[in-house]
Parts: sequence; C-alpha cells; structure tokens
Amino acid sequence: MAEVLSRLSSRAIALGLGTLLLAAACSSGGSNGNNGSSGASSTDVTVWTAWGGAELKAFRDVLAPFEKDTGIKVHVTTNRDSTNQIANGIAAGTDLPDIAPGPTDPTQVKDWVSKGAVKPIETALGSSFSEYMSNTYSALTTAPGGAQDDPYIGVIGGKHYEMMVKTQVKGLIWYNKKVFTGQAPKTLDELLAINPKQYNAQSLFCAGFESGAASGWPASDQIDNIIMRQSGDQVYTSWIQGKTKFTDPAIKLGYQTFLKTVANNVVYGGSNTALSTNFGKAGDPMFKQPTGCLFLEQATFITSFFQQDFPSLNLKAGTDFDFFAHPSVNSQYDGNVNGFYDNFAMYNDTPAARKLMTYMATKDAQQIWANDGGTLAARKDINYTDPVFKNAAGIAGSAKNLLVTAGDFMPSDMQKAFWQSLLNVTRNPGSLNSELAHLDQVQAAAYQSS
Amino acid sequence: MFGGIVSPDQIVTGVVAVVGVPLALLGYIVLGEKVIERLPASLQRWIRPYFWALPAVGFATVFMVYPMARTVLISFRNRGDSDWASGAWGIFANYHYFFTFPDTLTALRNSLLWLVFYTFFSVFLGLVIAILLDRVRYESLAKIAIFLPVPISATAASIIWKFMFDYQAPGTPQTGTLNALLGAIGRQPIPWLVDETTNNPALIFVGIWTITGFCMVIISASLKAISTEVLEAARMDGANEFQIVRLIVTPLLWPTITVVGTTMIINALKTFDIVYVMTNGAYNTDVIATRMFSQLESAQYGRAAAVGVVLFIAIVPLLLVNIRRFQQQEEQR
Repeated sequence: MAEVLSRLSSRAIALGLGTLLLAAACSSGGSNGNNGSSGASSTDVTVWTAWGGAELKAFRDVLAPFEKDTGIKVHVTTNRDSTNQIANGIAAGTDLPDIAPGPTDPTQVKDWVSKGAVKPIETALGSSFSEYMSNTYSALTTAPGGAQDDPYIGVIGGKHYEMMVKTQVKGLIWYNKKVFTGQAPKTLDELLAINPKQYNAQSLFCAGFESGAASGWPASDQIDNIIMRQSGDQVYTSWIQGKTKFTDPAIKLGYQTFLKTVANNVVYGGSNTALSTNFGKAGDPMFKQPTGCLFLEQATFITSFFQQDFPSLNLKAGTDFDFFAHPSVNSQYDGNVNGFYDNFAMYNDTPAARKLMTYMATKDAQQIWANDGGTLAARKDINYTDPVFKNAAGIAGSAKNLLVTAGDFMPSDMQKAFWQSLLNVTRNPGSLNSELAHLDQVQAAAYQSS
Repeated sequence: MFGGIVSPDQIVTGVVAVVGVPLALLGYIVLGEKVIERLPASLQRWIRPYFWALPAVGFATVFMVYPMARTVLISFRNRGDSDWASGAWGIFANYHYFFTFPDTLTALRNSLLWLVFYTFFSVFLGLVIAILLDRVRYESLAKIAIFLPVPISATAASIIWKFMFDYQAPGTPQTGTLNALLGAIGRQPIPWLVDETTNNPALIFVGIWTITGFCMVIISASLKAISTEVLEAARMDGANEFQIVRLIVTPLLWPTITVVGTTMIINALKTFDIVYVMTNGAYNTDVIATRMFSQLESAQYGRAAAVGVVLFIAIVPLLLVNIRRFQQQEEQR
C-alpha cells in the first residue's frame, strides 16, 4: 500500500489538499455570520409553512397571482419542525427562511424579538399596516386591555411580530339537521338537559379523543371551551402560564363539568368508545341509522371529515348538517371564544419579503384562501359562500376575546400530561383528585426554569 | 433547488465534506508514511500502528466519545445550561427527578415489563420455532412466514396492529380483527390499548411479533452448525428427541442464546417507536425512551440527558457480556 501511494507525487497531493482545506475554511467562514441576508437572490422569497395537502394547494393558489404580477419567485417548503430549526438557525447564526410562522412558546417569542431575529410587522407592511390593523379581527391583533405584551398573538413591547392570515373557531356544536330539529340551547345546562330519545338518537354526544401520539387533544379543546366560559379569560390565561394550579377550584370545576359531557351514559358507546375513536370518525354516528348521537363538539375543519366519510349521502353544509355556538356556561364570560390562527413572521427584511407580506395581508389574497374553503380568513371583510364559514365568521367577529388553545402553549411535557389526564378521568372519573394532584407535580416540574 | 433554502455556500461546504475528508485522510497517510520511512527502523515499528490507528480513534472520539461525555455533563447542568443543576440531591437534581417523579417510575416499571416478557418470549419462541422447523420438510417456507414481520419498520407494524386492536362501540360491527373474533364467539369487545390490564401486554406483544423471526434466524443458523454426528451418537446411545434437545442441542446453542438474549434486552430497554406510535405513553404505557423524548421536546435537556445516562449505565454490563462472548468465540477458533 505504502509503495503504491509513494509513487504518487506527494507534492501534487499536498497542493490539492491545501487548496481544498482553504476552500473549506473560506466557505465555512462565509456561511457563518451572514445572519440576516437571504440565501437566495433578491427577487426570490423563501417561505416555510407546516401546511400540506389541500392547505398547501390553497397557499399556492394565493401565491400564483403575486408571482405573476411581481415576477418574484416564492420558494415554499413544507416544514413541520420549523420552530426548532429556526431556533437552531438563530443560535448558530445560519440562514433563516425569509418568511415562516412565529413561535408559539411565549418565552421564545420574546427571545427572538430581543435578538432581532424576527422583524416587526410594522416594518414589513409599511404604509399598509394601519389598513391591516383595522380590517383584521381585533382579537388577533390587539392585546386585551391594550397591554404592551401578548406573546400569544406575537405582540411584544407594543409592536407586532406575527401577521395573521387565517383563523378557525373551535368549540362549535355540530348536529345533523334532519335529526336535531329543536332550538339551539343557550346555556350548557340546557344543552345537557336535552333528551336524545326525543329525537330518536341513542346518546346526547359523540366524542373521539384518539389521535395517535397526540391523543387527548380533542378532549382538551372541550375542557378549554368550558374553563374560558366558566371562570373567565384571566384564570384561563394564568392557568396556561402555569400560575394557576390544576387543583385550583376553577380548574377542578372545569374538569367536573367536562366529565358531565363524557359520562358513560351521555357519550355514544360509553367512555371506552370515546377513548378508542379517532377524532375524524367521531361524528359518524350522527349520520348513521339508527342515529348514534345528537351532537359533536369540534372546530370548523371537521366538515370535510363528515363529507369524506359519507360520500353517498352527499352531505351539504347548512342543509344536512350545521352547528351552533358553544353555549354559555357563566353569562359573565360570554364572548370568550376559542380559536386558532395561522400567522407569518418575517425573518429577513428584504424588499421581496416585504412585498409578499403586504400582499398576504390584502383582501384579494385572503379571499382566495376563503374561496378554497376549510378556513376563515384573518380579515373581517371577506365574503363566504359556505354557510358554515359565514356563521363561524360571525362568531369570530362578535368574540370579545379570541383565546388560544391551552395545551399548545404549555411546555410540551405539561401538554402531554394534560391531554393524557383527560383520557384517564374519562375512563375512570373516580381518579379525578389524584390526577389533578399529579398534574400539579408535573406543572411544578415543567415550568421550572432553573 | 433543495426547496430554495440551500445557499451556494452550503453546497460548497457539502462538496468539501464529501470529497475533502477522504482526500485529507489519503494525504495524511501518504505524507505521514513519507515521514515515517525516513525514521530509524526500530522507531518505525513502534510508531506505525499508532499512526494508522489515529484517524479511527479521532473519528470515534469526535462522533462517539465526545457526545457521550457531553451527555453526562449536561445531565448535571440546569435547564438553561448556565450553571450546575441544583435542588433536591444538589448537583444530582436531574437524577432526583428521574428516580422520584411518578411518571418516570411508571416508565421504569413498564421498561422492566418489556425487559422480562419481550426478551423471554422473543428468544424462547425463536428457539422453539428454530428447533421445530429444523425437523420439517417445508422449513424455508415456514421460516419466511415467521421472518416476514422483521423487515417491516416498527412504525408500520404499530399501525398494522392499531387496526388489529381497533375498538368500536359495543353492539356495532367491530372493525378490529381481535374484537371481531371476540364478537364471533359472543364476547364483548375489549379496548385493548385503553384498558390498563391489556395495554402493556398488547404493546409488548407487537414487539415480540416483530422480532421473533430475527431470533429464530440467528438461532437456526447456529443450530445448523451442530454436527449431525453428535446427534447420531446420542440417538445410538438411546436418547429420545426430547432429551437430545434438552441435553445436547440447548447447551450447544447456549452461547448464541446468550448473545441473542442480551441483544433483545438492549432492544427492550431502548423500546420507543411502538409505544410512541400506538399510545405515546397514554394510560400508563410510557417507557424510559419515551420519557427521554418528552423531556427533550420540553427543552429539559438536563433531565433528558439524565435518562440517557441511566439507560446507558443499564446497558453497559450487557455490552460487556456480549463482547466477552465474542472474544471467547475468537479464542476457540
């Protein structure tokens, strides 16, 4: 071996090696420290999003007129781990996408803003910022009581760092219009008092809490909608922040109320069925013969599941099925609505990125999103042909507070324990006290910063 | 290109890494040999092994020893890695969390269940099937059937078994195969993955299903190596088949069984995918590795590292057993 190698000109090899090492040194030096500049050319914009499937298609439909009119090329990457990768990029000083969703973790929002990694929407939108503010649901843009900080909607120090483009309303009570012909109940007690036998249904509610590794989130939506209407937005928010314990009477009352909606004799097939059924299939018994249940609580997105599961029935929103808003629990807190939203934040301040941000805030762009279906726009002045979204837009418009989904903004260890506690108490309501005590332990450990 | 996020700089770096590293190694050897050749012969003999081993040792240090040392270090640090951990047990706070928190204790119990039942059944069934199939004419066909689940990824296997364990409201058609069978004999369906008496056994069963074929193939190969003369001699001496299996085949297979067994114990301890896909630890099914993952997700790197260190310490003795076994086999040759 050595003899063969020694025949090669060592000088040539040394020269080649030196060049390569030099190239490596230069290139690594170049790719560090250019934080802030775009990797692509100035007429390109890179966008990360978590969307796939129909949502991604809708986004491409939104982008098409923009690319045609401006000649700017938008590179869209579906990245479901974008927050972690951007966090790593900020820490390592490597390239960031020009535009991507902002982080959900409140401390991360503040951290990124203080490092200057994310640019204010005021800068991105420039002169059209005030137009954006006046036409977007104020619950998405304005902190309650005019506070300077609301990291849940990307407001830090009075500036905006997340631009809202889409929104959904959660906690809607869906029903089969051919089965439930009564009046929508005004309060939760009225809802629980409805006798399903009167409408020839087996049970009052359907439920499906199974969702693979994320099992339990549909149950958490239900309890979120109870707590925010029962004990108010302040308790709700302080609970998300880990300042209110799970054994607090307000949260315990929320669990007890939740248990009334999933009791063995109230939920279709008993609690084991609710625990074993996937959320997408949960509403199926509403459309079967004999009718399994009267109501299913779920967000706006659920309509496509109804239609997919019963292609032969050709179900139409508004004529075959409909929803009413979550009934009041404590009238003092009427107007608290659970929603979620899709936002974009700008990480590289380039002219092309600014243009795209400005475009996505316009009525024209958001109307395309609405037309493609399955979502509400973040703007109030959009026309919906689908009656479901027309009504949902009404709920979002009249909301006093559009509140985030609790689990999504808790540390993930807390979120997992919270979701699984709901599964455990559904299966065994007698374990409520021990579950809540355990959640307090998890809360104390999960929010610990040191 | 590459979704528009890879800059030209990164492509250059990539090319340099792929082409440059092997070239640099080649250069190291060529240039180094040039130098060594000029040294006195006695010195050459002494220095050459170290010189050739150095790159391998270097790579192992950078990619294995360093991360391991770093993990151990992080397990003694606080959440933000700004200071040593503090709290109950002082610097061992992350270990205190591991050994006292109810969630991790449940995970430890479940990992122990995995260790005992998964290891025992996969090795035992592998051995029995290997011995039985050795005596039939359709051996390879039957072996293929048993081996079939092995190449399936654990995630895919978990999804398959989720369908098998599916549960529908009592009184409605059962889509899950197991509950459909129960229905056929007039029994109520069982929520396999929800009920705490059935969920851990159900998950462990999926693990056994995916790995028994692997154990069978290894044991079977070693079985074929047993000389037929030994068995013939035993038969001549009047031993029946059961005695042959118990007194001759099993002892001769013992080294193989030990290696397969320790490998299965390591598998059991690092179980993650099946639990993550099927329940993600709901209804008290968490295992050590899923706990580690949920700590990582919560950015609790100290706690996650502590879990990793405990897992590592648990596995080291098994690795030593395996390595010693290999050395003994080498010596016998």
